[in-house]
Amino acid sequence: MSEMLWLIRKTLMETFRSKKSWFTYLGLPIAGVLLSLTMYSNAGSGTIHVGIINQDGDQVITQDSIRFIERLNHVEVTVVDEQTMREQIVSGELDSGIVFEPGYAASVREGAPAHLNIVSVKGEQVTAYVKAMLHSYIGNLAAIGKAVQADEAKFTKLYAAYHEQSYKLSTVALQNNSNVARMTNQSIGFLIMFMMFSAVDMSEIILKEKGNRTFLRLLSSPMSARSYVFSNIIVSMFILLLQIIVTLLVMKNVFGIDAGVPYSQMILPLFVFALGAIALSLMTVAFAKSRAGAGAISNLIIVPTCLLAGCFFPMEIMPVTVRNISAFLPQHWLLDTVNKLQQGYSLGSLYLNIAILLAFATVFALIAIYRFGRNNDSRQFV
Amino acid sequence: MSHVLEIRQLTKKFGDFVAVDNMSLNVREGEIFGFLGANGAGKSTTINMIASLLRVTKGEITLLGKNIEKHSKFAKMNIGIVPQDIAIYEDMTAYENVRFFAGLYGLRGPLLRERTEEALEFVGLGDKATSFPKNFSGGMKRRLNIACAIAHRPKLIIMDEPTVGIDPHSRNYILNSVRKLNDMGCTIIYTSHYMEEVEEICTRIAIVDHGKVIAEGTKEQLKAIITDAKEIWIGVRADEPLNLEALKAIAGVNAVLQEENTIKIVSKTEINNLNQIIQQLIKDQVEIRSVEEQAPNLETVFLTLTGRNLRD
Repeated sequence: MSEMLWLIRKTLMETFRSKKSWFTYLGLPIAGVLLSLTMYSNAGSGTIHVGIINQDGDQVITQDSIRFIERLNHVEVTVVDEQTMREQIVSGELDSGIVFEPGYAASVREGAPAHLNIVSVKGEQVTAYVKAMLHSYIGNLAAIGKAVQADEAKFTKLYAAYHEQSYKLSTVALQNNSNVARMTNQSIGFLIMFMMFSAVDMSEIILKEKGNRTFLRLLSSPMSARSYVFSNIIVSMFILLLQIIVTLLVMKNVFGIDAGVPYSQMILPLFVFALGAIALSLMTVAFAKSRAGAGAISNLIIVPTCLLAGCFFPMEIMPVTVRNISAFLPQHWLLDTVNKLQQGYSLGSLYLNIAILLAFATVFALIAIYRFGRNNDSRQFV
Repeated sequence: MSHVLEIRQLTKKFGDFVAVDNMSLNVREGEIFGFLGANGAGKSTTINMIASLLRVTKGEITLLGKNIEKHSKFAKMNIGIVPQDIAIYEDMTAYENVRFFAGLYGLRGPLLRERTEEALEFVGLGDKATSFPKNFSGGMKRRLNIACAIAHRPKLIIMDEPTVGIDPHSRNYILNSVRKLNDMGCTIIYTSHYMEEVEEICTRIAIVDHGKVIAEGTKEQLKAIITDAKEIWIGVRADEPLNLEALKAIAGVNAVLQEENTIKIVSKTEINNLNQIIQQLIKDQVEIRSVEEQAPNLETVFLTLTGRNLRD
């Protein structure tokens, strides 16, 4: 026991002496949170900058159309000339431009709207909203135009009535939590991936010791092979727990992400998953003959399974087949646990998810033990 | 003199391959015991079993009277291994390396500090305590490798080729250290590919071949085995290995090997076959440059008994 603690102390000292370790174990998960924050913080709250060129003069219909666009939510309108609009669209100051060409008002009045151009270099993503709203508005005006059959007096009367109608609306603001939930899930998704890579990195210490022959010296000391592997597991558990706590603290206190569930409730499922990640990394090390081999195997396992389990993208956008496959991945069960906690499930009611995560850890550990046990040569370790 | 280490009918098998075959030997307290064998002879396998790194297939090893499999911790506490490959942490200072390995043997506090400093001083690295091994020469790393094995003051030190690939200065330093450790009461098992080192420092020697001890004794006792043999060294011009089969067929020739431009022939003393040897070389159009007869040494013994060079 005493030599195990001695080795744990040395491994931790050696690990935290290296700047690379700080970056790998703590920096990367925080970078993942930052990335999620960037991906989701702007969604649904951005303002579209629209430049307008009015070549149709002081026509009432044209002026009203411009005012309609100005009144749209999340749209900021600037009336510009053609040259300025072109420059600002290219430079990104404007998201799109709307050109009311001469004859626009007349065409609407006649019931066949024309002479209207919407331009953008950012595509449908930016123009769709304005286009849809404007088409609806112009469609109504064109319908009046068609109905009055070129009778200008009737059109003016109906147009005035259309503009004067008012609705009394009472509104209640509802908080949209879907973005925050997705942001939390994606941050956890990145944390999952970095936890798995960190576990492999820590287990690779075994292969490193094997390579520099220090393991032979260690095993010729009173330390047993079992104690050696166990001390490596304890160090990995400590580092992954630290990684979990630091990432959650940064999410909550630095980035102010409200996960919709107490962060303390997320520690247990994350830690149980960490046990599985450590067992998986030991399994990788047991099968690999070199550090490069272990790195290659872990890359082949971690990245695709994280992708399939929804660590990088919401599961809703995945095909049904992929969603079914993900049920065989531990990452899926962790993300599912976090999701359900956000939906208001109690941690106690999610015992099945936790049991599944524990089962994954047990299976991986048993395979690793079996593999280690078959090594007869001391040079093949344990 | 009591035995520090006793090996009785030791066998180690890897599948069908027998690496150590019914080996028996004793290492007495206070001696420097040379363990000689060509590559694959079974030396490292035996050492790994003594160090509890490999399980014994059959037989028994006792250290200070205790079976090492039954008293593994006791055995490990009393053995210090200087492995053939340098086994140190490059990203820890010399002091931290020695301190860490000594700490595995339960040393703590002021005693640990004292033993660490002592071990570093002993190998001449006292002034390099805070330096990282990545900045050390090969010889300094080998010395640190030794310091890590001796800080816990083991009764038996096993040195597996501790002088491989180092400069003469470090080599002399290490050989002197071995003698000093021995003077301090340590029993040492020493393996080397350098016959002259073994001849210089070992008090008793075992020659191992194909997993068996084929000869054991002091230098003098081993040399006495081959009083009827002489060694003839013939200097030749040889750009590539020569076909020496014809020489081996000459009456009285026990063993023949070529080391670059020298053909070493072990032959029976009572048979005068030098003329035949030279005639055969002339017939084979080998350019002879010198001929000299050597007094039997350990190399002659090894060559005679195994038919192989130690470096094979």
